[in-house]
Amino acid sequence: MAVIRKITTENDLNDLKTFELVIKDSEAREAYQYIPGQFGMLSYFGVGECPIGIASSPTDEGYLQFTIKKMGTVTTALHNCSEGDIIGVRGPYGNGWPIDYIEGKNVVLVGGGFAFTTLRSMLIYMLHDDNRSRFEDITVVYGARSPGELLYKYDLEEWGKRDDLNLVLTIDRPAEGWAKNVGFVPSVVKETAPSSENAVTLICGPPVMIRFTTPVLTELGFSPDNILMSLEMRMKCGIGKCGRCNVGNKLVCQDGPVFTQRELMDMPQEY
Amino acid sequence: MNSSSKPIKTIALNKEHTAEFLNKLIKNYRVIAPVDNGKTIRFQEIADSDEIELNYSNTKLASKEILFPQTEVLFTVKKKDGKTVIEKPKPIEKDWVVFGVRPCDAKGLENSFKVFASGAHKDRAYLEKREKSIVIGYACESPLSTCFCTSVGGSPSGREGMDILFTDIGDKYLVEIITQRGESLMEQASGAKQPSKEDLAAAQNIWDTAEKSIKEILNLEGLEEKLDTMFDDPIWDEISQKCIGCGTCAYLCPTCLCFDIQDEETPEGIKRIRTWDTCQFPIFTLHTSGHNPRPSSKERVRQRIMHKFCYFPQEYGHTSCVGCGRCIRECPVGYDIREVLVKLEET
Repeated sequence: MAVIRKITTENDLNDLKTFELVIKDSEAREAYQYIPGQFGMLSYFGVGECPIGIASSPTDEGYLQFTIKKMGTVTTALHNCSEGDIIGVRGPYGNGWPIDYIEGKNVVLVGGGFAFTTLRSMLIYMLHDDNRSRFEDITVVYGARSPGELLYKYDLEEWGKRDDLNLVLTIDRPAEGWAKNVGFVPSVVKETAPSSENAVTLICGPPVMIRFTTPVLTELGFSPDNILMSLEMRMKCGIGKCGRCNVGNKLVCQDGPVFTQRELMDMPQEY
Repeated sequence: MNSSSKPIKTIALNKEHTAEFLNKLIKNYRVIAPVDNGKTIRFQEIADSDEIELNYSNTKLASKEILFPQTEVLFTVKKKDGKTVIEKPKPIEKDWVVFGVRPCDAKGLENSFKVFASGAHKDRAYLEKREKSIVIGYACESPLSTCFCTSVGGSPSGREGMDILFTDIGDKYLVEIITQRGESLMEQASGAKQPSKEDLAAAQNIWDTAEKSIKEILNLEGLEEKLDTMFDDPIWDEISQKCIGCGTCAYLCPTCLCFDIQDEETPEGIKRIRTWDTCQFPIFTLHTSGHNPRPSSKERVRQRIMHKFCYFPQEYGHTSCVGCGRCIRECPVGYDIREVLVKLEET
């Protein structure tokens, strides 16, 4: 069980909120050791449970953050919560981003819309003073429909000031007061043209964005081993038992959610 | 639990002594056995060995329901002195003795155990019950026309998943003790005798006759590898055409373990409940966004066959199907998995 310490509304539409949780039991809090890219199972008791990617970084000690879109019954119940309310949290589950593999490489994060959450976790982790030297150049291409729909505006502002990070933001259509890129993520990735030399790319976004971005990355020379993606599936248990998140013989909750493009090429197209 | 199938000891126990033994067990164990409740024969807790009905081919519902009940409370959320607390179900005190499990179902228990015990996170709710259970199998004398255990690595006298195997040889049972737990349990039986040559021959005869009576032998050689290349084969359209997606097959299957988790508000608090579910239902994989990776019967029927005969073998080295034939017997539209497997083999 966890206390909601803080709720931050993330977008103009008011359907994306970041929940900052503190696990009540200190032992359980200590035991919740995770890596970026993993997810947790969040419960609103009486309504149900659902899997949500962890948006905070292991370097953020003492609390967890989850950014949740109001979609179904559980996420709606969570959206109706107030600070101080108690909810359930299990985890961490899944494989997460392969930190060891990414270490020592140039890293390109490509995110679209509200799927930026676990990329944010990875980015905070890499930018932390203890970790920054473990990674080479970092490029972030992040797009949303409109400026108001970009998540973590407070982070984006801070990241924009850094000189050890190439932050490329884009929105789908021109908007008043927006001086940065306009255009869909795939074309902005193409223009940004990050080098694929000793580089790995992490992609999270709506399926259509992924479908059009991966060919661009391939063209830029990224091999299928260096294109990493995080899948989403309906889940109940999160621990590889309930039987609904498999893609072929792989369980998204356990073998994933992070897969390389090469792994996905060997898996059935059923996700 | 056990994978060794050779008995460590064999005894003969007459039926009076068996009844006495079971009644003795009832005092210290929760004894679960097949009982005729009028309409069906079903595994349930007994208070006396007289309640046991062994004159059956197979129960309608697989004995999986003993360890994996159709609905089960995982925990209850309560308010105590204004605080939210989680109350777990009480730990099992008495060990369980599950008596009279047919070899196909016992193998099903073994296959299920593998899934619940696999991976980084174990399923404690299941494993607690499994670890507390001693399984006494009961050799099958008269397989039904829908039985095909021998095609999927089983046998009417298979010992997998059991601690002890009973074979009815007339006025007594030949009792094969397979595990140490089985051995210490059988020590509580009085009247155990060294089996005679005739006893052993009688049991052998029953096993052989039963095995020979299974006429339907499928050649499933290489099916796993074949299915691995058949995901996009048009045959799934044909195979799935008949299926109405009722899920009966999955509910009766000894190795279908898919479940749902739901919350229920009750006067005692909010119960988090696990219930059986099936990959044959459209909502099973439906995302909240409306996207469904398995939108039609074709994908769902394919998933069930693939899981049993391709994905599970890739993980565990053998098919999860135990050939009990329940899905064939109870399917409302006469879908016969044997025909499907033959068709897939021949494609």
